[in-house]
Amino acid sequence: MKRLVRQTLVIARRDFIATVATPTFLLFLLAPFFMIAFGVVGSLGASQLASGAADKAVILFIADPRDAPAIMGADAELRKSFSPAKLVVVAPDGRGAAQARDLFGREEGDVYAVAFGPLDRLTVLNGGKGERAAAYLTELAERALRAGRAGVAPGERLSRATVIPFQRAAPSQSGRQGIGYAAVFVVFFLTLLLAGQAVGMLAEEKSNKVIEILAAAVPLESVFLGKLIGMFGVALLFVCFWGVLATQGLSLMPSHGMTLANTRPAIGLVPFFLFGAAYFTMAYLLLGAVFLGVGAQASTVREIQMLSLPITIFQVAMFGLSSTAASQPGTTIALFAEIFPFSSPFAMAGHGATDPRIWPHALALVWQLFWVALTITVAARMFRRGVLKSGSGGMKRLFGRKGTAEG
Amino acid sequence: MGDDLAVRATGLSKLFGGRRAVDGVDLEVPMGMIYGVLGPNGAGKTTTLRMLLGILEPDRGSRMIFGNPNPRAVGDRIGYLPEERGLYPAMKCREAIAFMGALRGLDWQEGRKRAGDLLESARLGHATDDKIRKLSKGMAQLVQLLGSIVHKPDLIVLDEPFSGLDPVNQERLEALIRSEQARGATILFSTHVMAHAERLCDRLAIIAGGKRRFEGTVAEARAELPMHALYVPRSDGPGLSALLPADAAPAGEGWRFLLPEDGIEPVLQRVMAAGHGIAGLSLERPGLHDAFVRIVGKAAMGDME
Repeated sequence: MKRLVRQTLVIARRDFIATVATPTFLLFLLAPFFMIAFGVVGSLGASQLASGAADKAVILFIADPRDAPAIMGADAELRKSFSPAKLVVVAPDGRGAAQARDLFGREEGDVYAVAFGPLDRLTVLNGGKGERAAAYLTELAERALRAGRAGVAPGERLSRATVIPFQRAAPSQSGRQGIGYAAVFVVFFLTLLLAGQAVGMLAEEKSNKVIEILAAAVPLESVFLGKLIGMFGVALLFVCFWGVLATQGLSLMPSHGMTLANTRPAIGLVPFFLFGAAYFTMAYLLLGAVFLGVGAQASTVREIQMLSLPITIFQVAMFGLSSTAASQPGTTIALFAEIFPFSSPFAMAGHGATDPRIWPHALALVWQLFWVALTITVAARMFRRGVLKSGSGGMKRLFGRKGTAEG
Repeated sequence: MGDDLAVRATGLSKLFGGRRAVDGVDLEVPMGMIYGVLGPNGAGKTTTLRMLLGILEPDRGSRMIFGNPNPRAVGDRIGYLPEERGLYPAMKCREAIAFMGALRGLDWQEGRKRAGDLLESARLGHATDDKIRKLSKGMAQLVQLLGSIVHKPDLIVLDEPFSGLDPVNQERLEALIRSEQARGATILFSTHVMAHAERLCDRLAIIAGGKRRFEGTVAEARAELPMHALYVPRSDGPGLSALLPADAAPAGEGWRFLLPEDGIEPVLQRVMAAGHGIAGLSLERPGLHDAFVRIVGKAAMGDME
């Protein structure tokens, strides 16, 4: 066992160094800069869109048509000092609070707050972003009342407003599903970027025939696992490099930190990230092992290139399955995605967002580890049978060809 | 199984798609010997070696290395130079040798140190920090050979080690093999070049058509063929050929024929009596080359029948 570990690490070390100590690696490492550059251009456009959305934001006043002029008048006056979102006065349909809630569902623009009820006992539904808007609506009601009456004592308030926060359908749950989805996406994205490289990993050994030296000295399983670990090291370097840059960037933007803290995953932030890292490892090893095994069967660079499309499709399919699971936690499809070995790491990465229990993760990690071992064993066996052994068959196989011709 | 055999193979067989690449080969290599596996191209030498090393599993038969039926279990005591040479082109010579040592359980630091010494003694010291891709094919092959002995293995398996080397490097390789034997290692190598086998091997096996056709020393192999006589008369004449054995054929100044069963003396008496005299006479065993051709040829004939 110790010997196997040692041999695996020798292979891993070689692969890691051979990958990192090349100029191409710098290009690989810095490639996201290009993505970020395009992202910045894109985000300029996006922020314009966002400010467009702010222009469209409204505050609504459900008021009797008779009160409307007074309210509009007060608004015209107050608007000189404040600059609230656009005020729209809506005629009541008699349903009261129900009408107000429905108005939040308006599609055009964002509704910050809705006021309804008699002016002296006003109720304001506050949509979360509209704390100032709610105060503004209250003040409008007060002014409108005062305008219709004389001799009000300076300190006296004519209106009593109740401000109720508007509850969108289970916001915490959907927020958590949002994090779950984000976790699935991050793990998928990193794996998509990094694990695909595994396809061509044995191409080098096959083309320069080092494979026989390796195969003679080290069990193929160790060769496969070593190569995976070596490439995972490269992936980790990549993730750490960008992770550090990203957190540095985030710390400059405190508002983002706030949103993150506001939407805590059910399992807790630290375990969520730890499990996320573990699932990334598993996703990388699992998919990497599949790709490595499939790629090892290919005998030419062209075949490897041809394989990249089905491999991407396979990954996207796993992502699709897992993201469905993240948005529908607890359903059969979610359970399937969490159990099916090749989507399990993605799905389980999102699982912690909505489920506080730890043990499913322990179980999932063991389960995934088992599949990593199984995949590597099968891949090595196929390689041994298909590439090292067989001399017949249509495909030109490296050793097979040699085995029969040269013996 | 504490015998003093480094390698023992019994009835090794390997099928490649219905064709018997190796068919019941037995092999016994005593410790400390230089042992040659000879055979024509496609005889099954490489497949036999691969089965011995555990790269391939035999379809039938068994093998033991140092008494262990699982060759991989003793992998750290084995050094192997495959026939298909291969090194990572981007690696430096020193690293490549240390890497091969590390695969066999040698510490990296120690491997690098030994690599320097080995390269120096192979007169490749100038290339220690060169990348493999800068080397000539022959140099790269030497580097790979050094890599396969850097961990001081007890058994060294070399598949066609001389092919691709110029005569000077072939000479160096022979010296290296002898020095490894002097260190105490057992060397098993395959070749189809008889000259090396003749000079190096303590024992050898000849494989043809997947079967073992001969096993023994070089002298025993040569003894498979009768001695040849080369007779050069002092004065040639028309009647001479009639006095010589029937198979005598002119060869340069003289005649060559197989040594008759009753010896050379009756022939000499006849030619002396006829006054042809003796300017030169040599009796010699045919070389391993001829023995090999005969053994392999016989095997091919046997397979045809």
